[in-house]
Amino acid sequence: MKTFDTRLKPLMKLITAVLFSSCSNFTDIDLPSSQLTASSVFENKTTANAAMVDIYSKIRDRGLLTGYTTGLSRELGLYTDELQYFGISGTAQANFYTNSLLATGSEISELWNSSYNQIYAANSVIKGTEASLSLSIEDKHQLMGEALFVRALVHFYLTNCFGPIPYVTEIDYKKNTTLSKLSQSALYALIKKDLEQAVALLPVNYVGNDRVRPNRGAAQALLARLCLYSEQWEEASNYSSAVLNQSQMYVYPLALDLVFLKESRSTIWQLMPSAAGRNTYEGNTSIFTQGPPSSASISPHLLNAFSSSDQRKTQWIKAVTNGSSTWYHANKYKRQTTTATSLEYSIVLRIAEQYLIRAESRAHSGDLIGAKEDLNKIRNNAGLQNTLAETPEQIIDAILAERRLELFTEHGHRFFDLKRTGRLNTELSSVKTQWSATDQLLPLPESELLLNTNLNPQNEGY
Amino acid sequence: MNYFSYYKGGKALYCLIFTAVLFTFSSSFGRELFRYKNIFFQQNQVQGTVTDGSTPLPGVNVSIKGKTNNSSTTDYSGQYTINARVSDTLIVSFIGFKTKFIPVNNSTKIDIKLEYDTTTLQEVRVNAGYYSVKESDRTGSISRITSKDIEMQPVTNILGVMQGRMPGVNITQNSGMPGAGFGIQIRGQNSIRNDGNSPMYIIDGVPYSSQSIGSSLTSPNMPSENSPLNSINPADIETIEVLKDGDATAIYGSRGANGVVLISTKKGKQGKTSFSTTYQHGIGKVIRFKNVLQTPQYLAMRREAFANDGVAQYPASAYDVNGTWDQNRNTNWQKELIGGLADNTNLQASLSGGSLQTNFLFSGNYSRETTVYPGNFDYIKTGGHCNLNHESQNKKFKINFSAIYSAQFSSLPSIDLTQISGRLSPNAPKLYDASGNLNWENNTFDNPIAPLEGKIKGTTYDLLANVMLSYDLGYGLAVRSSFGYTDLNQKQLNFQPHTIFSPSSGFGSEISSLYSNLINRTSWIAEPQLAWNQSIGKAEIEVLAGNTFQSQKGDRQLINATGFSNNALMENPASAATYRVVNSDQSLYRYTAAFMRVNFNWEGKYILNLTGRRDGSSRFGPGKQFASFGAVGAAWNFAKEPVFKKNLEFLSFGKIRASYGTSGNDQIGDYQFLDTYGTSGLTYSGISGLQPSRLSNADFGWETNVKFEVALEAGFFNDRIFTSASWFINKSSNQLVGIPLPGTTGFQSIQANLDAEVQNKGIEITLRTVNMKSKEFSWITNLNFTSLKNELKSFPGLSSSTYRNQFVIGMPLNIQKVYKYEGVDSALGIYQFKDVNGDGVLTAADDKQTIKNLNPKFYGGMQNQLHYRNVDLDFLFQFVRQENFNENFSNPMPGTMFNQPSGVSAHWQSPGDIGPYQAYSNSNTAMILANSRLIQSDAAVSDASYIRLKNISLSYQLPQKWTKNFTCRLSVQGQNILTITKYKGIDPEFRSAGYLPPLRIYSTTVNLTF
Repeated sequence: MKTFDTRLKPLMKLITAVLFSSCSNFTDIDLPSSQLTASSVFENKTTANAAMVDIYSKIRDRGLLTGYTTGLSRELGLYTDELQYFGISGTAQANFYTNSLLATGSEISELWNSSYNQIYAANSVIKGTEASLSLSIEDKHQLMGEALFVRALVHFYLTNCFGPIPYVTEIDYKKNTTLSKLSQSALYALIKKDLEQAVALLPVNYVGNDRVRPNRGAAQALLARLCLYSEQWEEASNYSSAVLNQSQMYVYPLALDLVFLKESRSTIWQLMPSAAGRNTYEGNTSIFTQGPPSSASISPHLLNAFSSSDQRKTQWIKAVTNGSSTWYHANKYKRQTTTATSLEYSIVLRIAEQYLIRAESRAHSGDLIGAKEDLNKIRNNAGLQNTLAETPEQIIDAILAERRLELFTEHGHRFFDLKRTGRLNTELSSVKTQWSATDQLLPLPESELLLNTNLNPQNEGY
Repeated sequence: MNYFSYYKGGKALYCLIFTAVLFTFSSSFGRELFRYKNIFFQQNQVQGTVTDGSTPLPGVNVSIKGKTNNSSTTDYSGQYTINARVSDTLIVSFIGFKTKFIPVNNSTKIDIKLEYDTTTLQEVRVNAGYYSVKESDRTGSISRITSKDIEMQPVTNILGVMQGRMPGVNITQNSGMPGAGFGIQIRGQNSIRNDGNSPMYIIDGVPYSSQSIGSSLTSPNMPSENSPLNSINPADIETIEVLKDGDATAIYGSRGANGVVLISTKKGKQGKTSFSTTYQHGIGKVIRFKNVLQTPQYLAMRREAFANDGVAQYPASAYDVNGTWDQNRNTNWQKELIGGLADNTNLQASLSGGSLQTNFLFSGNYSRETTVYPGNFDYIKTGGHCNLNHESQNKKFKINFSAIYSAQFSSLPSIDLTQISGRLSPNAPKLYDASGNLNWENNTFDNPIAPLEGKIKGTTYDLLANVMLSYDLGYGLAVRSSFGYTDLNQKQLNFQPHTIFSPSSGFGSEISSLYSNLINRTSWIAEPQLAWNQSIGKAEIEVLAGNTFQSQKGDRQLINATGFSNNALMENPASAATYRVVNSDQSLYRYTAAFMRVNFNWEGKYILNLTGRRDGSSRFGPGKQFASFGAVGAAWNFAKEPVFKKNLEFLSFGKIRASYGTSGNDQIGDYQFLDTYGTSGLTYSGISGLQPSRLSNADFGWETNVKFEVALEAGFFNDRIFTSASWFINKSSNQLVGIPLPGTTGFQSIQANLDAEVQNKGIEITLRTVNMKSKEFSWITNLNFTSLKNELKSFPGLSSSTYRNQFVIGMPLNIQKVYKYEGVDSALGIYQFKDVNGDGVLTAADDKQTIKNLNPKFYGGMQNQLHYRNVDLDFLFQFVRQENFNENFSNPMPGTMFNQPSGVSAHWQSPGDIGPYQAYSNSNTAMILANSRLIQSDAAVSDASYIRLKNISLSYQLPQKWTKNFTCRLSVQGQNILTITKYKGIDPEFRSAGYLPPLRIYSTTVNLTF
């Protein structure tokens, strides 16, 4: 045993030596390979682009514009008279359908939080790009333009749902914690400013082939809609013309079954699915093959609004029957699941809306002939005769009726159109048993009011 | 059984194995064997049996006075053999008994009867982590349970076995699903962060991260993600010690704020080689079902709701009431969906033994639990444990090696059916159609067991190894070092085949989806230490100094694979049409520290214990990484003073101790101080996205916790009555929290230190009485009681902070601000709440002003151990006084298409009625709003105090005359047998609404030892 002890002694000495030594830099560690410092992201075109396009993934998957059941296409469809609900009560969709939203509902905070998260990411791109020393001027313009467009887009939908809200342009949480609400006109002015800047920064041509990143046309198209909503008729008309005049890029009329394909030349901006072979969430959630459906179908109100000769009723809506009953689902997107290569992307902005925007603006500014011309473009494309409307009021009514049929289940157009034209109560109180006048705004999330008292008061009715 | 007999053929076999084992692990065995032979010729062999008067005592140490290297241990039949000279004196010692000295003289057979000695409880050495301390000299607050308490419980989680048995330790079960974890709080909530209150776990000297593993996407069936503690097999554990006060925890510095749980596994012991095996089989079932409406009452409710809403034509989707479904069906869905019997099987085997220098222990275990749900699900846990320890002949060098390896295989339902089982319409259609397929009732029935087409499969492998080397340098100086290594691997798969959806959706396997979460966590630790013990006159001084170097690496990958040509291929993500890495991240945590302990002990009367630690952690930003912690503890064994000895003879033990110390908390996750972008797992236009990881704050630092405690311990009448009372006050400041932020910041919280102070103040009382003690019968009662007050002491700027609606100064952290419920409006039939500020509008900020405290007021346990001849009866009552969310909390609105508690029939029907339930409605907006406020009112919180027979165990040891060469113990156990409570709801103990509460378990056990 002695020899063993002697052999052991050096080891014990080593332990004793280590005992009172200490490495002060033992606790300084490198970044994990899965993370980059925020500033370095914007010193490199590839990573800066990765930060930007990630926002589109988020818009596609969560928040207001997702085609999933938690987005406005489904929720406002149920909230108004576009969709009928078949699922169980107590769910987010049921609450929208019965117009009984609660400020404590997770569906409300989900819309709110994911939207402001997208806005934060856009602001982070703006700040990072501004501070960048290595990005080229062209790249900076592209990124800034896209981020400003996104910031404007998300705020635009937010204020149309929630009314007065804060406009966030900073990334400093201390400032963003105590923001106050702005009136809708102040918000529209800020949105307009951002979009005008985006128009100046963004190139006419798309980055890549699939129209999946916004270009100047996308910013102009959204500006046109903003001006329409704020009744700046001339500007609305001009911005939509600026898009429509790009006839090389945007093609219309277009066969109805081609409008929602990913190659559609009437698309201004669309969101790409998350993986090759996938198609849209819209198709995935609205199509059903047997009845009764498990969640939602096209409501009889919408179905009956189509004339029998309207090609959209047969091409964009599909009937499912079990022999005794028949149900209908939106069939704009025809692919429910994956295909060998993706065939459809989620379209956010398309040319038909621009014709309808210009038609309405022209009608309001007295250009009735021009208005009817634009309206008839849409009608003819759907296989309908020219409109018979004559007076400005008739024409405007006809345009709004057309918007309902053309833009159904696309991100809540029906709700926003009824609201901005003051027709919400009259149209919906006869159809929705639980409708009340205060339902024109969604509730602000209660958790948000508790965390930031400057957001008080709660919207009326909640 | 003859096969195992030492006196027949089995002896040779055993000797062979024993010798082989020793040859493998002791290089010096050959030499020793030779030496023994020499002694053999000079001395007599003495043998005999050691008993307590009636039964033989195994494991008793028999040695010879003055000869430290000659000793023996009694076997399981109480027999010993030792070589001794005529002039020698035998020393017979055993914990719990008085040591006996017996001269050998000319005897060759000496039978010995030992007498119980309760005072020796004070001689037990308690593990304090870096050092151990004699119970009587302890200056800190340490609670302890041993394998004796653990073995009789049919529980597979180590936190489960502690429940109700330790003062100051509050444990609640998260779910009755096999493999779901437990929540633990030691002396209350210190941190405002809900996930910053875990104690530190140390297994055989190696810190074991309790940070949950898994992903919420692969564990939707449980309220929380998997706890790594599931890997530890309770049967492998010798003792669990919980360190609570400053004196005991300061040496753990930054990680001791929430207490430290020390787990020591069983060690090989000197003595005959013995083989022990235990087989346990049990069944578990849900304790009680919710009392819900039967079909006639349910349909009446639905019709009344539509009538109230003015809806004459039932909606197309109201299948229960519009004639689509059979209105005469009446199913008890709780019985169908969670009413099954869970089957538990547990098999343990161990082999242990050793010589003077080298001891070993090998054990293996296997357990399988099934569930109460329909379908084939199970959770299998299997593993091995090995311990080897060796001491050089001159006793200077010691090495102790332990390793635990465990594997868990789970195949569990992907959702918990508990919630739906209490809500499904009683006339909902049958689950299967005539041909045995899932019934969708022509697409009108969202079949609740369809999700069981999917499942969650998990495999977890965990290795924990440690080596402790020590060498005695002489002069009271010893150098030692421990090295530990842990390696945890988990793979969890969440299968969501297309068959979970109704065929009406038209989905095929192209939408079948698989989430796969892979986790690897490895850590190593090295802790070189130097210890010096010296007696100077009447004083004894112990000094310990050491360093810690620890590194923990984490690696995680979450994958989503979608679209399979066939569901049979789902296990292989490579066969998916699309494959996406949702999350892939690595983390590194480095930690270093220097620690020290100095202990003065004057005659065992006056004891002073000083401990300190300086810590550095990579979780903090530059300049904030290091902090120091320390404590002082003192004890006075006053009963040893002559004045007490003389005047208070009945006082057998008396000690006053006090301690004051600081410790810290760094449970905030890694890299939180950095402003970074990380991969989002989302691909867009061929580019893999990057997203901001968090809002960053480089300036946060340690949370500190100051602990003060005074305690009195006293034993009377030879410690037949032993009691302790401690009073403690802990203050946690510089709170490290994720401060909640409004969504407009883009995130929900930011890490920062908050200048708030949280105080936990309370008393802990233990009482142990030996009520009866005779030759054949004994009865011992152990009582523990804890009363604790948690309080937010200060919070500068609370009223302007984002916490203003969550906390109140002077109140506990765990409160709910709720509406004040004022009954049903007798005119309108709708719930009424107090408009506190009288502005005519109910708003959360202004009117949720009633405060409900959800912390227990007091809790404890009472254990009784009765022993009569060969029969042992042990039972534990657990009691808690508290308020908790009741059945109103998770109840959907009465009148909607959900079943209701049967009490709902007392509802408003016509003016003048007062409820207690409001009028039935399916879609009335005002009613929906009122119902949502009821959930957030004081009507949803009520008394949930209970007394529960937590555990009962009855065992019988077959008489030795039947089983000469082995012992056989038969026992029956029960868990959660009886509950006395006023609580309305499924289980008062339970806090995860909507999940399966703890089960009632009955089991039988056979234990054989050879």
